[in-house]
Amino acid sequence: MSANITTVNRSIASLQNNNMSTRKIIQKIAFGIMWIFAALAIAMLLWIIIYVLINGAQVINLEFLTTRPRGGVSGEGGMSTTIPTTLYLVVSTLALAAPLGIGAAIYLVEYAGEVEKESRAARILIRVARTGIEILAGVPSIIFGLFGFTLFVSIMKLGFSLLSGGLAAACLILPVIIRTTEEALLSVPMSYREGSLALGANKWQTITSVILPAASPGIVTGIVLSVGRIIAETAIFWVTIGGSYRMPENLASAGRTMSLHVFMLATETRAFDKAMGTSAILIIVIVLLNLVINFISSRFEAKFMGKKV
Amino acid sequence: MEKELMESSAEPTKRPILITIVGIILVFFAVSFLIAGVWYINNPAPEGGMDSALVTLASIAGAGVLVLSAYGVWNLKDWARLLVMTILGLVGLIYGISITFDVFSQIFSGNEIVPLGDILLISVIGISKILLLGAIPIFMIWMLVKHSNYFIEPASQRAIIDKSMRQILIITTFSSILIVTLIFIFTFNESRESIADVGIIPMIFDTVWRPGSIIGASDVDFGMMPMILGSILSTLGAIIIGVPLSLGTAILMAEIAPKTVVGVIKPSIELLAGIPSVVYGLFGMVVFAPLIRQIFPVPGNSGFGLLNASLILAVMIIPTITSIAEDAIIAVPKSYKEGALALGSTHWQAISRVIVPAARSGIVAAIILGIGRALGETMALIMVIGNAIAMPKPLTDNPLTTFLTPARTLTANIAVEINYAAGTHRSALFFSGVLLFVMLLVVNSSARYLMRERLQS
Repeated sequence: MSANITTVNRSIASLQNNNMSTRKIIQKIAFGIMWIFAALAIAMLLWIIIYVLINGAQVINLEFLTTRPRGGVSGEGGMSTTIPTTLYLVVSTLALAAPLGIGAAIYLVEYAGEVEKESRAARILIRVARTGIEILAGVPSIIFGLFGFTLFVSIMKLGFSLLSGGLAAACLILPVIIRTTEEALLSVPMSYREGSLALGANKWQTITSVILPAASPGIVTGIVLSVGRIIAETAIFWVTIGGSYRMPENLASAGRTMSLHVFMLATETRAFDKAMGTSAILIIVIVLLNLVINFISSRFEAKFMGKKV
Repeated sequence: MEKELMESSAEPTKRPILITIVGIILVFFAVSFLIAGVWYINNPAPEGGMDSALVTLASIAGAGVLVLSAYGVWNLKDWARLLVMTILGLVGLIYGISITFDVFSQIFSGNEIVPLGDILLISVIGISKILLLGAIPIFMIWMLVKHSNYFIEPASQRAIIDKSMRQILIITTFSSILIVTLIFIFTFNESRESIADVGIIPMIFDTVWRPGSIIGASDVDFGMMPMILGSILSTLGAIIIGVPLSLGTAILMAEIAPKTVVGVIKPSIELLAGIPSVVYGLFGMVVFAPLIRQIFPVPGNSGFGLLNASLILAVMIIPTITSIAEDAIIAVPKSYKEGALALGSTHWQAISRVIVPAARSGIVAAIILGIGRALGETMALIMVIGNAIAMPKPLTDNPLTTFLTPARTLTANIAVEINYAAGTHRSALFFSGVLLFVMLLVVNSSARYLMRERLQS
C-alpha cells in the first residue's frame, strides 16, 4: 500500500517535473519567437535607414547642397532651393498655427471648465470643439490637401503658392499643437495654480508667470514635433505648392519642399541617387529634431519628478 | 490704499538712468520715423508699390505710438513697458527671420556652387548682422525686464489685461473650432454634386473608374470599388506583416528584454515614426520592387503592386503599433503578474494568459490606430503600388497572386487626380474624401472607445 502511494507520488512528481520542463521549453521557444520578431522589425527599419544613408552619402557634396535642381528627366542638379522652401513653409505654417493652437489649448484647459459650469450652450460648444479636434487629428493629410487645393488654390485664387501650402498645413498641425499643449498644461500640478491664486495673482498672471513657464518644455516639444510633421509632409504640398524648383521669392511663389523633391525625383525622373541624397538629408534633420525633443522632455521630466508633491 | 502701497514700494529709488536711456532711444526712433515720413511727402517711394501718402501716415502713426510709449516709460507706467516689449519682440523676431532667410537664399540660391569658405563668410555676416541689429532691442528688453519692479501696475490695468486676454483666447478657440467645422462642411458640401449625379451606392460599388474629364467623353464612370479594394487589401497586407512584428517587439520591450536593450530599441522606434513616408516609398521603389520581381517570377509581376505597398505600410505602422501596445502592456498592474507567478506559472504563461489578455483592449486599439495610419497614407503608396485603376485580380490561378497586381488606393486617387479634376469628377473625389473621413472616423473612434474602456477598468 505504502509502496503504491510512493509510486503515485513519484509519478506525480515526475509529471510535475516534466510539466515544468515542458513549460520552460515552451517559454524558451516563445521568448525566442519574440526576440526574432523584434529583431526582424528593428532589422527592417535599420536596413532602410542605413541603406538610404549610405546611398545618399555618395551624392551629398557641396555641389548637391548648393545648386538647384535643373529639371528634366535625368534629374540633374542639386537640392539647394528645397532647403529654404522647407524653412519658409515651416515658419509660415507655425506662424499661422502656433498662436491659434496654443491659445485654444490654454482656453480649453484653463477657462473651459468654469465656462461649462455657467451655461449649457457653452458646454455643448466646447464638447463639439473637443470632438472636432480629436477627429481632425486622425484625418489623413490628403484630405487637408483636397480641402486646401480647392479652397485656397482654386476658390480663393491664391494659386500654387507657399501661402496655400502653409494654410493647408496649418490645418493639419493645429490639432497636433492643441493636443500637445493641452497635455503639457494638464501636467502642471493643480497646487501651482492654487498657490499663485492664493497669493493674489489673477488668472492671466497665473497663466503667464506660473503655468506657461512650467508647461513650456511640453509646449516646445509639441512645436518641434509639428516641425517634424511639416518637414515629413508631402501629400498636402504635392497638391498646393506647385513643385517649382526655383528659389521662392515670397509667400506667393511656388516651390517644393525636400520631401516633395524626393517624391518628384522618384516618380518623374531617373535620378534615384539624388532622391536618396535628399532622403538622407531628411533623415538627418529628423534625427536632430528627435534629439532636441529627447533633450527637452528629459529636462521636463527632471523638473516635475523632482518637485512633484 | 492699494495704489498708495504700490507707489510707496517704488518710492525709495529714483528713475534708473538706464530707463531714461530707453526713453531717449524711443524718442530718437520716433523722430527718425517723423523725418522719414516728411521725406516721403517730397520724394515718392522708389518702387512705386506703396503710396507715399500712406507711408507718411504710417510713419507718423508709428512715431505717435513711440512718443506715447516713451512718455509712459518716462513716467514708469507698466502698460508702456508691456507695449515696448511687445513691439521690440515682434520687430526682433521679424528681423531675425528675414536675416535668416537672407542668409539661406544667398547660400542656397542654386545658381552656382558656393564654396565652403563663402558659406562660412555668409553665415558669419548673417550672425553678426543679427547680433548688431538685435543689440538695441535686446538691450532695451533686458533693461525693461531687469527694472520691472520700478514700473507701477495699477489694479485696474491688471483687471483689463485679464479680461481682454480672456476675450482673445475665446477668439482663438473659436477660430480653431471654425477651421475644424469648415473642413467638415466644405468636404461634405463639395461631394453633394456627385451624390446627386451618380448616387452613393453606384459610386461605392461600381467597379469602373473612368472620370474622362480630360477627353470630355460622355460615358464617364465613377465606381470606387477598385480603389476601396486597393486601400483595404494593402492595409490588410500591412496588418498581416506588421502586427506580429510590432506586437512581438512590444511584448519584448515591456516584459522580456533587459533595460539596456529597451534603451536602444525604444528611441529608435520613436525616431522611425518621424521619418518622412516618401523615404520609405523610395526604398520600396529601389529595393523592394526588384526583390519582389525576382522572388515571384509570375508573368505580369512588375514588383510594383499591393505586396510592395503592404511591405512599406507594414514598416510605417510598426512604430505606431509598437509604442501604443507597449504602453498598454506596461499599464497592466504589477499585481496581476505577481499573482500569476505566485500560482506557479512561468513568465511566459503569465504573459500569454494574464498580462496580454489584460492589456487586450489597448493592444486592439493600437492595431486599429495602425490601420488608420495605413488607410491614410498617400504619397509612399503612389510610389510603390503601380497606380492601376482596375479591379485587383489574381495574375495566375493562385488567388494570392492578387497581391502582386498593381492597384490604387483612395488616398492615392485623390492625390493623382485632384489637380486636373473638374465638375462631377472633382465632386466624386471629394466623395472619396468623405468616404475616407467616415472610414477613419469609425476606426479612430473605436480605438478611442477601447482605450477609454481600458482606462476605466
